[in-house]
Amino acid sequence: MADLEVPKELREEAKGHDMYLHPIDKNTYELFFGPQHMATENFSVILKMDGNRIEKAIVNPGFLHRGFEKLAEGRPYFTNIALLLRICVPESDVPENIYSMAVDEIVGWEVPDRAQWIRTTVLEMARMSAWMFWILGFGNEIGLYTAGQWAAAYRERFMRLFEELTGGRVYHIYTVPGGVRRDIPGDKWLRQLRDTVEYLKGKLKDFDEILFDNYITIERTEGVGVMDKKFALRHAVTGPNLRAVGVPYDVRKDDPYYFYPELDFEVPVLKEGDSLARVLVRRYEMEQDLYILEQLLDMGPPSGPYMVQDPRLKALPRFKPPKGDAYAHVESTKGDFGAYVVSDGTHKPYRVHVRGPSQSHGVTVLEELLKGARLADVPVILKTLDNCPPDIDR
Amino acid sequence: MESVKKPRVRIVGEEKVRLKKSFVKPWLGIKYLFKKPVTIKIPFERIEPAPKYRGFHTLDWKKCIGCNFCGQICPARAIEMTWIEVDGKIEKRPHPKVDYGRCTFCQFCVDVCPTGALGHVENCYLTTSGLEEDLELYDWVPIDPKKVQELNEKFGDYRFPVERITFNKETKETTYYLRDGTEFRFKIIGYGLKPPAAARPKPAAKPAQKSAESSKKDESSKTEEKKG
Ligand code: SF4
Ligand code: SF4
Repeated sequence: MADLEVPKELREEAKGHDMYLHPIDKNTYELFFGPQHMATENFSVILKMDGNRIEKAIVNPGFLHRGFEKLAEGRPYFTNIALLLRICVPESDVPENIYSMAVDEIVGWEVPDRAQWIRTTVLEMARMSAWMFWILGFGNEIGLYTAGQWAAAYRERFMRLFEELTGGRVYHIYTVPGGVRRDIPGDKWLRQLRDTVEYLKGKLKDFDEILFDNYITIERTEGVGVMDKKFALRHAVTGPNLRAVGVPYDVRKDDPYYFYPELDFEVPVLKEGDSLARVLVRRYEMEQDLYILEQLLDMGPPSGPYMVQDPRLKALPRFKPPKGDAYAHVESTKGDFGAYVVSDGTHKPYRVHVRGPSQSHGVTVLEELLKGARLADVPVILKTLDNCPPDIDR
Repeated sequence: MESVKKPRVRIVGEEKVRLKKSFVKPWLGIKYLFKKPVTIKIPFERIEPAPKYRGFHTLDWKKCIGCNFCGQICPARAIEMTWIEVDGKIEKRPHPKVDYGRCTFCQFCVDVCPTGALGHVENCYLTTSGLEEDLELYDWVPIDPKKVQELNEKFGDYRFPVERITFNKETKETTYYLRDGTEFRFKIIGYGLKPPAAARPKPAAKPAQKSAESSKKDESSKTEEKKG
């Protein structure tokens, strides 16, 4: 590739940009990693390679840019739910919830207890199915396809539960400002959820056996993509990636919302900051999420309405909240997800800003961590950072 | 704030999280070879959609009051209000026409419908054979829920209740060929909230009318006479 003919003018022009064509030296070559590679999902990394080592990595996102924030300004408040949840595909309930929480705060609605319980449960279920999705991706990247196949099968159970609760499988469009759209379908559903939780608890042992205790996993991840505490804090790393460098920050504990203050769970923290630590933190969080779901089920849904009673909701398309602004954030499997909504008193929001965790994980941190890594480690670093390209591009 | 909340964080240390490296354990996964597979063999086995799965729409034409709430809430702008003539009689109010090329199946339109005219069924199979004429299929004015229910009981495979839709450009006549062989004909005479020219009185009468509500009734009856 080294003596690839690139026209001289193009080379000159390329020097001006940092993005596309780079002048190629004798021993270095340029490698386009993704978006057709499975690990990168929907974005690509341009790698400048020296043999098997990466000299420089430039992240090339933007394949999924749809301009959600701008689109949200042109649609009525409730309608935006069907739009914003597309920001995070594996756990679409997170954008729904942050937006709804922010609008609730602007309007000043006290969300009924039952709705809060349902929202907490839905968030935890979404976390669990997102973990399963992550195992699918991560297992495939290091060549342990069996774990991925199992995880996909277990995720199906949650999808079925979601289907019965919300009427949709992947995009639930369920949490709306003021509550949720439907009530729990009945005790049968709660029993099914408990069965699923019990079932997965047993299956976690299987995952330990074939994935987390596996010699291959540990060899592939130990000491790969190390980040230290200072670096992580400077680059606004959140979520499991931050807990893997020794900072016990969890939005559910530090800025609790919904039912989380009443729930008992632990925050796993490791110090190493390498890929293995990130994997193990995630492994432990799965256990905690199942435990949280169990507690929620023991508590049982409180009785009462599942939606606020407000006469303004009768004319939904023209619903106008008062002037104001609010920020709300939740803990997702990717990190700290937040939304800032500004209302100017009309029936459409003046501004919606979404703070996604993947911007820092997938762009700035990834570029730094890839420096000096081997080519084979790229998927491992990518998957253990667990970024979500739709969230980077938005 | 930090200092108050910090003690509540129960931190789990290394000993608990760290696992053991093992060569042998991964082979234990082999036990699943002897269990029943979870894969669903699609043409032979089937999973039913959950009750109240958000599928295609139904519309009770008698109940719909043409308020356009559904059109206003639709995030994908998939709904277009349509003026319809059935058996030579113009419907008094416009009805929503749903374009499934745009629809996201959020069913917000069903939630906001004040009269409960718009509903949905569990039918969810959107696939076609990819013929040119099939593209016409998924832009329709939803039909009566009772008819869809009847078709569902008959076929039970959750497909689109209409097999073919033809639109005659000259007479503006649309024909739905339902799956059980019956045909359903009507004319689409215009789009939008305002009554189309055919349903409007002579231009001299009232050129600009904002509150069309009251006058619509006699308009449509007038045009009926004209047509008849
Ligand atoms: S279907 Fe319902 S919301 Fe839509 S125009 Fe008719 S009555 Fe109004
Ligand atoms: S279900 Fe379809 S037609 Fe109805 S509001 Fe949603 S996108 Fe629009």
